[in-house]
Amino acid sequence: MAEPSVSTERLAALEASSREAIDAAADLTALVEVRARILGRKGSLSELLRGVGQLPPEERARTGEAVNASKARIESWLEERRAALDARARDHALASGRLDVTLPGAAAPLGRLHPVTRVEREVVSFFAGLGFSVEEGPEVETDFHNFEALNIPADHPARDEHDTFYVGPGRVLRTHTSPVQIRTMTGRKPPFRFIAPGRVYRHDISPRHSPMFQQVEGFLVDESTSFAELKGVLYAFAKHIMGATKLRFRASFFPFTEPSAELDFECLLCDGAGCATCSQTGWIEWGGCGMIHPRVLTACGIDPERWQGFAFGMGLERPAMLRQGIPHIRLLYEGDVRVLEQL
Amino acid sequence: MRVPVSWLRELVAFELPLEALAERLTASGLAVDAIERVGADLSAIRVGHVVERAQHPNADRLSLCRVALGPDVNDGAPVEIVCGAPNVAAGQKVAVALPGTTLPDGKQLERSKIRGVVSNGMICSARELGIADEHEGILVLPAEARVGAPLPEALPAAAAETVLELELTPNRGDCASILGVAREVRAQTGAPLRLPPTEVAESHERAADLVRVAIDDAEGCPRYVARVVRGVRVGPSPDWVRRRLEAAGMRAINNVVDVTNLVLLELGQPLHAFDLAKVGGGEVRVRAARPGERLRTLDGQDRALERDDLVIADATRGIALAGVMGGAESEVSEATRDVLIESAAFAPARIRRTVKRLGLRSEASYRFERGVDRAGVARAADRAARLLAELAGGTPAAGAVDVSAGPPEAPREIEIDPARVNRLLGTALASDEMGALLARLEIATQPAAGGRLRCRVPSHRNDLVIPQDIAEEIARLHGLDRIEARLPVAPLRVVEQAPHRVLVDRARDALVAAGLVEAVTLSFLDAGDLDRLDLSLDDRRRRTVRIQNPIGEEQSRLRSTLLPSLLRAARANLAHKVERVRIFEVARVFFSDGPAAEQGLADEPLRLAALITRGERTSLWEPREALPLFFEAKGVAERLLLALGREAWLRAGTPEPYLHPGASNEIVTPEGVAGTVGELHPDAARAFEIEVPCALIELDLATLAGLPERRPRYTEVSNQPPVRRDLAVLLGREVAAGDVLEAIRKQAGPQLAAVTIFDRYEGKGVPEGKVSLAFRLVFQRADRAFTDAEIAKLVERVVGMLGHRFGGELR
Repeated sequence: MAEPSVSTERLAALEASSREAIDAAADLTALVEVRARILGRKGSLSELLRGVGQLPPEERARTGEAVNASKARIESWLEERRAALDARARDHALASGRLDVTLPGAAAPLGRLHPVTRVEREVVSFFAGLGFSVEEGPEVETDFHNFEALNIPADHPARDEHDTFYVGPGRVLRTHTSPVQIRTMTGRKPPFRFIAPGRVYRHDISPRHSPMFQQVEGFLVDESTSFAELKGVLYAFAKHIMGATKLRFRASFFPFTEPSAELDFECLLCDGAGCATCSQTGWIEWGGCGMIHPRVLTACGIDPERWQGFAFGMGLERPAMLRQGIPHIRLLYEGDVRVLEQL
Repeated sequence: MRVPVSWLRELVAFELPLEALAERLTASGLAVDAIERVGADLSAIRVGHVVERAQHPNADRLSLCRVALGPDVNDGAPVEIVCGAPNVAAGQKVAVALPGTTLPDGKQLERSKIRGVVSNGMICSARELGIADEHEGILVLPAEARVGAPLPEALPAAAAETVLELELTPNRGDCASILGVAREVRAQTGAPLRLPPTEVAESHERAADLVRVAIDDAEGCPRYVARVVRGVRVGPSPDWVRRRLEAAGMRAINNVVDVTNLVLLELGQPLHAFDLAKVGGGEVRVRAARPGERLRTLDGQDRALERDDLVIADATRGIALAGVMGGAESEVSEATRDVLIESAAFAPARIRRTVKRLGLRSEASYRFERGVDRAGVARAADRAARLLAELAGGTPAAGAVDVSAGPPEAPREIEIDPARVNRLLGTALASDEMGALLARLEIATQPAAGGRLRCRVPSHRNDLVIPQDIAEEIARLHGLDRIEARLPVAPLRVVEQAPHRVLVDRARDALVAAGLVEAVTLSFLDAGDLDRLDLSLDDRRRRTVRIQNPIGEEQSRLRSTLLPSLLRAARANLAHKVERVRIFEVARVFFSDGPAAEQGLADEPLRLAALITRGERTSLWEPREALPLFFEAKGVAERLLLALGREAWLRAGTPEPYLHPGASNEIVTPEGVAGTVGELHPDAARAFEIEVPCALIELDLATLAGLPERRPRYTEVSNQPPVRRDLAVLLGREVAAGDVLEAIRKQAGPQLAAVTIFDRYEGKGVPEGKVSLAFRLVFQRADRAFTDAEIAKLVERVVGMLGHRFGGELR
């Protein structure tokens, strides 16, 4: 078979038919085929190029140049078309992947720690930073640990303030976390630095109270522990947990501390001006504190002539309620999902 | 304790504004709960001087008065006022309301014409002013009243009373009196104390000739003082007494009883008034109750007494329950002429036991329980004698019968070491500063050996016993707020968390990550819930701890399982139309048996429980056909166990009666069963009224905490290509997929990197009684790629095993 002669006419015709085929290619696959038909090993332009070799030397250079120029043009058309098809394919993909992005996300179910648990964790980690470890004690307590050893004898009027649940002869639901002091110190050697969080119980059914609530007890016993240091620790604590910077220590009475004080912090909602949360007083009662009574140390077998210490106890609910605007304590303990999920 | 401020001022004339005083008292230990104002403000009523009284020109029964009201009114000239009272007379000082004044009944007075004459005000009666019920004419003021002055200045009874509401701590029984509070005010302000007068004109009769007192129970009654007042006329007290008692929160009864209450409030010493005529033989005997003794108390109750009760008896019988309540027989009545006043000190613990046993609380017992001032007993009797003379017209017999059960108590002395006080408080107070602070409390100090201070405690402060008590007095007078806060300096120490606390944290985090909300519920249990769970009678959870004084029958036990709490919470949520409840709780449960029970305590293992319900599909993205709830709960349980890092696995079935027998697992550890996961049994669901699908998880964290921690170990990650083979296998429905998975793992050995079940199908195309399970096996070796032949051989062995062991065949 005779090689087709390379004529200007043929080249022009080839270019024209190539252009037509390229423009007609409907997608990238078709374009790849078109390219093969023209520029492939057996493609029409490749054949023409091979014909150039058989031309007389004087024509070869000129014709070769013409064919190459033609090839370059075809290649640029192919590239143009490819880019156009690419853009079209992407536009199509984008169009078909278009969503109503205002629909809600597929949310995994919401988990939440209890607000008081979060406070407890912060309390534990704050005190861990100061070298206080965590101690626990039973919730069903002996009268001895809950009262007697804490210098609250059986016929003492201070018992009236405890609204005790009784569970058997000499057995009570602990009314405070203070019995953990006794359990922790008995049989051990000072110095001590502990906190004791946990559930406590009071037979009080008024609407502002819950018969069960959570407290944290803290105590530090050393040779020179002072009321000044108690204040130092509680200032740091109140600031860390609630951002409260103004505290008030009111002289008070607890049988197991001497001196004793009630601890108030300035109401965070009204900055002390007085509001419904603080009953217009500007202060919120938080807990009790004081220097551990020597009789308590003696009851634990510790020499009060050598050792002295401070103790404090407060509710864990108060910070949670204040931080999150929870109006009354019972909301925390009813297992109401509508409440818990929002906190 | 309610303290009328006018009364307080009689005993201590402080100048500090009331609010500032309240703040100081609160800071120093006498918490002022409220400053309450009672009664109308009568400061707009003025003192007028009736310069002239004339007959009203047009009315017989009216007077026309010219009344001077001082320089501020009418330029000092008298004004004309019409008055209808018969007792008005020239020269009187009277209370005048001018036009525009609002009277206590809320009416505003207007200038008016009465029978043709303009009246420029009103001369008021005590009733119109709300001071007393008197309505026989106008109120006539003392002659020395200053003309034009506001009425309260001239008439203390017209002053609006202010009451301090104090919350007393149990140690400060001494402050349950105006005098006690006055002492604190003196300590805070330096204002001098004025003891109420006790002097009184006595008759020639001697009290000791009229009554005899004997103390048989020395431990119960250290001191007893009796005074006799004869010829009293029992009747209502004057208004100022009634107002004072009411402001302090007590009711007026009659002048004799009111006197005892006035003294109780004023001095803190409870008194009792006996009708002397009914004290048999004029003899008073303080003794313990006799076996079987009964006494009818003032409230009309016939009470059985016990040996421990302290009785006041006459020659023949008990006439009062000492320190708690008088007897009905010897009560003062209108016929009473002669009164025996008892002022005594009783042993606090004895009184308290009687009060608690009989449930009889009174103002008297409140003070006796806290201890009265033994040295003040006689003063209170004297004060009462004076007031009875003043208010009931009686004449006190000379002297008192004052009997002590032992030698008089020497004043208590406490030695303090100022250096130790400073060490305790963190202060740097000098010894004489301490002395000065203590002096404000009537605590006299004297230098003692070694730089110490000897402190002499006044008799009314029975709460001060040890040096620390004195340190507290120093601290609160110095001001707790003035003690400078500082952080302790202490050696570093390692703080380790107990394993169970670490476990609790992990469990909570894992469940929160699984989309559960932590609940905290009360630790109480309704015993009926154990029946609702269908627990057998010998189930350990029946051995509950019982509360003797529960809030209600439904909260009469401590819970031995967390499930009822969660089920009740779920029901409450369902009632609120919250259908999807995903909650958990970590808490102790309580058993009355176990090792701790032998020491009388409860066994209190730490438990976890979770509850998941499913409601209607509410979100677009939820699959239309949800997976069985059991698998959702099981997935949560698996994640939980993974997070806890202890050896534990799940096993089909559980004997728990409240779980669906065909949709439950046990959680097993090397120590035995430690929990369950499963769907709620339909019977339990009905019993707890849970009407949506519900699944439960229970785990004994105490058991898991006792197991060694298992940390995941690294296994080499292979870079060789994994080879995947899917097998659809027809198996009998009764075959447990878990067993099949386990068998495949065993058969294929370590070269099987993973095997999962990715489809389960029964129905059309699968024979009756069969199920098609689709397994995906992924093979991978660490050292090199598999050949096709090797894979084929491995798969062939698995298929062979499935056929041989489970009767499975490839689909």
